[in-house]
Amino acid sequence: MKRQFFSTVQAPPFLLGVMCLLAMAGCGGSNSSKATTTIIDNTATLTAGAGPNGLSGGIVNGLYVSVTVCQHGTATCATIDNVQVDTGSIGLRLVPAGLGSVTLTPINVNGSPLEECIQYGDTSYSWGPLELADVQIAGEKAVNIPVQLLGQGVSATPPPSATQPTAGGASCLQSTPISTLPGTPPGNEDTVASLGSNGILGIGGFVFDCGNNCTTVSFTAGYPYYICPNGTCQAVGVPTVDQAVNPVAQFISTDNNGVMITLPSIASAGAVTVSGTMNFGIATRTDNALGNAKIYALDQCGNFPTVTFNSATYSDTQCTNNTGGLGGFLDTGSNALYVSDANTLKTFGISDCASGTAGFGFYCVSGGTATLSNVNFIGFGGVGSANISLNINNATTLFSTNNAVFNDVGSDSVPNGGPANDFWDLGMPFFLGRTVFVGIAGTAAPTGVNAPNGFVAF
Amino acid sequence: MSYTKAILSALLVLALGSMPASAGLGQPEASVTSDQLHMKSEHRVQDFQAYRVHELANTEGAVVREYVSPEGTVFGVTWQGRSTPDMNQVLGNYVNNFQTATRDQTQIRQRRGITIKTSDFVYSNFCRMGVCSGRAYAPKILPGNVSAEVMR
Repeated sequence: MKRQFFSTVQAPPFLLGVMCLLAMAGCGGSNSSKATTTIIDNTATLTAGAGPNGLSGGIVNGLYVSVTVCQHGTATCATIDNVQVDTGSIGLRLVPAGLGSVTLTPINVNGSPLEECIQYGDTSYSWGPLELADVQIAGEKAVNIPVQLLGQGVSATPPPSATQPTAGGASCLQSTPISTLPGTPPGNEDTVASLGSNGILGIGGFVFDCGNNCTTVSFTAGYPYYICPNGTCQAVGVPTVDQAVNPVAQFISTDNNGVMITLPSIASAGAVTVSGTMNFGIATRTDNALGNAKIYALDQCGNFPTVTFNSATYSDTQCTNNTGGLGGFLDTGSNALYVSDANTLKTFGISDCASGTAGFGFYCVSGGTATLSNVNFIGFGGVGSANISLNINNATTLFSTNNAVFNDVGSDSVPNGGPANDFWDLGMPFFLGRTVFVGIAGTAAPTGVNAPNGFVAF
Repeated sequence: MSYTKAILSALLVLALGSMPASAGLGQPEASVTSDQLHMKSEHRVQDFQAYRVHELANTEGAVVREYVSPEGTVFGVTWQGRSTPDMNQVLGNYVNNFQTATRDQTQIRQRRGITIKTSDFVYSNFCRMGVCSGRAYAPKILPGNVSAEVMR
């Protein structure tokens, strides 16, 4: 198997030479030419906290990494810190200011720059061109991949606009962003101040952000890809090679089948900031072995199809029937445990924090920390079953500290939704005190893993 | 707010908010037709004992369901698709409740989605991996014998 390839102990010298050519970084350093130095560094440092805007920026449980972006084929690079690590999206998207004077290669479709619109659940959005770059994280490198530059050289609003209700029948934003959101206009997240980071590194369990659904304009509401010749936008089909892509899946090393994220345990009152690691590759070398972690296969939508708790079943019926709940999933891009709902959990002392309190929008708890035990996450096709325990603390108390990292902040998934609508989103709090693997669908899974739609392991 | 920002906001509101706020939550059952035209969708009606569901589904997998009371009023809406639908359209006059509640909720950002629970308006929307889902209902016009869980 290929994953033995990077073992220094086992690889013969000629292979190490090949690896060096492929891996580019970390090879043949100026101070040593020994074979043992040719192993590329697959470990990136993570920081969790409030991010570049500080606590007043309104971010808690942000997870950040440093990313180096280079003009393709050159040593003209910019290293950008505070890029948010997001296992709930796909693709690298950057606030262009972080690039400084480094320019990238535009992707033109019919002679016009390819633009993408992405929207977030709070009605905010990002919009800007995709350009080609070499991307390096730790010592791992992806060559000539599309990277989105938020807000660069585009009008402030994606389709629809005032003069153009739809673009060739398609439109990205259906709903007006909430007027109090940051950004110009409100909801447009193309600055560090509005995005809360220098960019987003989407490394979820898929390779492309849209894939075959966007090689032709196969849908219109919420369609992401456009060209805008002479200021008039039209939706365009885009071959996957030009779509926003999971940089990990494009690494030229064999460490391209997923990530391993390790974060330390913290006290229930939280922490100002914590440091952790992200190892690239799963079971491709000794430092990313699965060890005792159990594997959980995911459904076609990247979710656990079934979660059971307290005699109720929460199913991903949205994936199968376009209605109801989402089952369960792990997501570093969720800042809380969005689990069940306060009405369903009221016997645990859980309620919705009142309007006007610091925790409004999150769970409050009476009588100390609430513990939800025997939450069962069941993998796709029955591959893996996890019995987990979650702590929920009072968000108003937590947010009244100077801390920005919490392992016990929660929120409704769907208010009053009940098991038919609710889901179990194991956001950032779940990752603290654990090692979690996220395996990318369509890449070389570790031996014995039966997970066609990707997997998680912990 | 800068002049440019104000203009851009106004233009966006013009573009997105130009549909009459006569359809959706809290409106008569007849308003469903307006939503159907807006979504360019197919229309399926399901009758249950205590309520009726109008399902508007277009060919791209976007679905909006409107829940109608025996008195003929839309008391709840749900949606699934690749974008959050036009809130002016699906929330009707309750879009004001939406705007007011979210204004109070900006201390900690929840980019993945937002939830609102007040005595007369309950809302949630969540987007991840390019897929959004959500629902909204008006508790005060929810028929007495109908559980909020049926809106899914």
